[in-house]
Amino acid sequence: MADGCLDYIAMTTLPRDQVRSMMGEVLAAQGKELPAEDAALLETIGFRSLDFSELALRVEDELDEELNFDAPGLRSIETVGDVLTFIDQLQQA
Amino acid sequence: MSESSTAIPRASCVLVSGGSRGLGLALVQDALDAGAKVATFARTITPELEKLAADRPDDVHIGSVDITDEKAVRTFIKEAAAHLGPIDALVNNAAIGQDSLHVHTSPERIAAIVATNLTAPLLVVRAFLRHAMAKSGRGRIVMVTSVCAQRGYSGLVTYSATKGGLDSAMRTLAREMHGRFLVNSVAPGFFASEMSSVLGTEQLSTITRRTPTGRLVEPENIAPVVRSLLFDDTNINGQVLTIDGGGSI
Ligand SMILES: NC(=O)c1ccc[n+]([C@@H]2O[C@H](COP(=O)([O-])OP(=O)(O)OC[C@H]3O[C@@H](n4cnc5c(N)ncnc54)[C@H](OP(=O)(O)O)[C@@H]3O)[C@@H](O)[C@H]2O)c1
Repeated sequence: MADGCLDYIAMTTLPRDQVRSMMGEVLAAQGKELPAEDAALLETIGFRSLDFSELALRVEDELDEELNFDAPGLRSIETVGDVLTFIDQLQQA
Repeated sequence: MSESSTAIPRASCVLVSGGSRGLGLALVQDALDAGAKVATFARTITPELEKLAADRPDDVHIGSVDITDEKAVRTFIKEAAAHLGPIDALVNNAAIGQDSLHVHTSPERIAAIVATNLTAPLLVVRAFLRHAMAKSGRGRIVMVTSVCAQRGYSGLVTYSATKGGLDSAMRTLAREMHGRFLVNSVAPGFFASEMSSVLGTEQLSTITRRTPTGRLVEPENIAPVVRSLLFDDTNINGQVLTIDGGGSI
């Protein structure tokens, strides 16, 4: 495989919009809706820690790469925007 | 049938793994207060441990050893026994924690937790028994396990498996050693330490709320139980003593 190709693989990340729609799918599977505002509270929309886990696994599936992480980072996540930022940071790590 | 009809003597020289801080350090101090000599190791020697060794040079042997390095552990036991005399008790305390859902824990991290918390303690027991059987022939072993081995706590799958593994090994060892060695576990509930520092205040207050005594366990609550297992004639053998304020009932 050419070096340029390796570089391309290492840099693959999903855009925030795509992760947002995947988040919508996780919620839709439970008959819930994802609000448009990033400031929407997870507690209000019923997005629980295992839903975050499911979302992260969907992202991993898409990237074909593991994004392992510890639980403490998750505890400060409160809003839809926090979720998208956290997933973004995991992909950059 | 048991081969020893008299009480196992009180511990005179105790090997404590992971005695540099937290519960391990409290157990080192407590064993010294009870009149025993103590050999202890961790990867990093702390100022507290250095001070103990400086204050009690004839009673304390310390070393910087990684518990997963079997050869280094065996060498440490040899050197400690040359310094302090035969070691007749072991407190298997060193461990690393976990705070991640199983699906998000890397295979490497899972292997590291099993290596440190299960494989290495089993090898420490083996090395200790090979030393103690040849020297004093009788003794005591205390495994520091956890309430997680008995109840489910999210984020601790591999950690719990290692602690449950140690509890099982403890019972089998108690049987296998035919009463020549008393082998028991203490299973604490959550207490404040570097290991549990990842818990948020919300989680800590939930645990406290669910604990009938209304307060979290402290190393000072665990030390007397370990002391009794090491020094008293209790005839307790092959048991897990849970110390959690009743949180798991
Ligand atoms: N804290 C809790 O809530 C809790 C609850 C139930 C049971 N426990 C158990 O209680 C025991 C003590 O825990 P703690 O809370 O006091 O933990 P801690 O403060 O993190 O201390 C752990 C000790 O083990 C040593 N250690 C860790 N990895 C080691 C390695 N590879 N080689 C040698 N030494 C190593 C550490 O020193 P270095 O890092 O320098 O090596 C330290 O001395 C553990 O068995 C733990 O599983 C803790």
